[in-house]
Amino acid sequence: MEMHQIRYFLAVSETLNLTRAAERCNVAQPALTRAIKSLEGELGGELLRRERAFPHLTELGERMLPMLRQCYEAALTAKMVAASIRNGDIAPLSLAISHTLALERFTPALRELSRAIPGLEINLRRGSDSEVGELLRSGSAELAIAGALPKAWPRVEEFPLFEEPFGLVVSRSHGLAGRAKAEIKDLASEKLLISTGCKVFEELKALLAANGIVGAITHQLATQQDVLTLLKVNLGVAIVPVGAAQENALRWIPLEQLNLVHKVFVYSIAGRHRPIASAALFNSLRAADWRFDIETKRRGEAHS
Amino acid sequence: MTELSHLLEECFVRCRNLDAPLVDRLQAFANELRGFGPHFQAAVDALISRLRENDAGAAAPKVGEPMPAFLLPDERGELRCLNDLLDEGPVAVAFNRGHWCPYCRINIDALARAEEEVAGEHRHIAAIVPDRQKFTLWLKSDARAPFPVLTDVDNGYAMSLGLAIYVGEELKQMMLTSGWDPSVSQGTDNWMLPIPATFIIGTDGIVRARFVDPDYRVRMAIEDLLAALRSAD
Repeated sequence: MEMHQIRYFLAVSETLNLTRAAERCNVAQPALTRAIKSLEGELGGELLRRERAFPHLTELGERMLPMLRQCYEAALTAKMVAASIRNGDIAPLSLAISHTLALERFTPALRELSRAIPGLEINLRRGSDSEVGELLRSGSAELAIAGALPKAWPRVEEFPLFEEPFGLVVSRSHGLAGRAKAEIKDLASEKLLISTGCKVFEELKALLAANGIVGAITHQLATQQDVLTLLKVNLGVAIVPVGAAQENALRWIPLEQLNLVHKVFVYSIAGRHRPIASAALFNSLRAADWRFDIETKRRGEAHS
Repeated sequence: MTELSHLLEECFVRCRNLDAPLVDRLQAFANELRGFGPHFQAAVDALISRLRENDAGAAAPKVGEPMPAFLLPDERGELRCLNDLLDEGPVAVAFNRGHWCPYCRINIDALARAEEEVAGEHRHIAAIVPDRQKFTLWLKSDARAPFPVLTDVDNGYAMSLGLAIYVGEELKQMMLTSGWDPSVSQGTDNWMLPIPATFIIGTDGIVRARFVDPDYRVRMAIEDLLAALRSAD
């Protein structure tokens, strides 16, 4: 299939009017109809029902619409990259990453981007998952990387990147640091460090209560980075995703009975123009082998 | 692995390892596949004739036209662009459908041996698939390919060249039964695939030869690819 065929079909799906769709695409109506017919021929079924004055999407048309739009936007991105790759212009990238995620996870992709696009100018914002989502929605960020966001936002597209298990994190000098795994009852006499917006806090409290631990002392902190800083000086223990605790001063220990995973997504806005840097980063993040990344880190730890 | 996908894998290994030109190895696999049932073949034939009737792939860059630039991550996450590849000499860019496709595995295996033959002459090959890195890395090591295997997320580059096609509901169900599921390796459920076309590009970025056939069971013959790559400047 060809880009103009999809562009015409998308225009018809938005206007539900062949004349207006043809005007919008700056093409004569017979040419628009012919191109869509050819697309239908290739797909082996009709996309539009034309019996009345105004066309409607068929069941196949409805089903194909999101797939064709996704492929079309990817193609627009590819064309834009082709046009601007070597001009050396300033290439701004506004990116928002949830502070529940260690930046180290994304440094290989950012380093590679900076090498491939010499004009790269990064504007990195951090915040809670919902703050990061708001930055994306308001247009302050082109891409957002965060945990699961509410589904209520219509044009926000989410693409899963990786999942990482939650576990117990303690300082290397903590009594539990040498353990291969821990149990909930090990937390009976521990103080808990919690960051604002921590999604697993309620589930964790319920799990503690179910194991007879009530009224545990908790420190409420602004960000996950603050949690990690206080962990290092042994002010308490924390429950965080494995990727957030890659620092040498910390130990991440699987916690039995805790079956929580942190699902991480990259978010973008459908139909919004993506400049070259965010387009390239978006593709790198989607293509990346995150599992391999964790294994490399684990092997690295085993050697050290 | 289902029993069917196990049999198909055995069949693939037999055909890949044949001491024969690429064209014959692909044909051998296609012939063996016919033995697995007429329904699959009928669905494949229907798709290919639909694609042919509607000139699928015809708009892709022709001989004498410039090959549009790309910036795509390789199997290690390094961003590779066409211009950088051309700095080292003429390049053959081979679109493939994915690590799950036996024809592509046979093709990449043959391309790997071709690359070994011409790398010393500053002529190279690059493969492009819609699969994510975990799978491009697998594809590369499966064929011991010395060239980069690049990821084209959502078939964006292929689509921009008019090379993306939709598999269709009928064939999708049959592919799933055979254990061929591109949605896992692509990380998206849109069942789009590239036409596995090959382009030979000179250092000036102009296409010197191309092979575009909507029938994914046939690929550019290695002898033709090598001849075009060697005569390109």
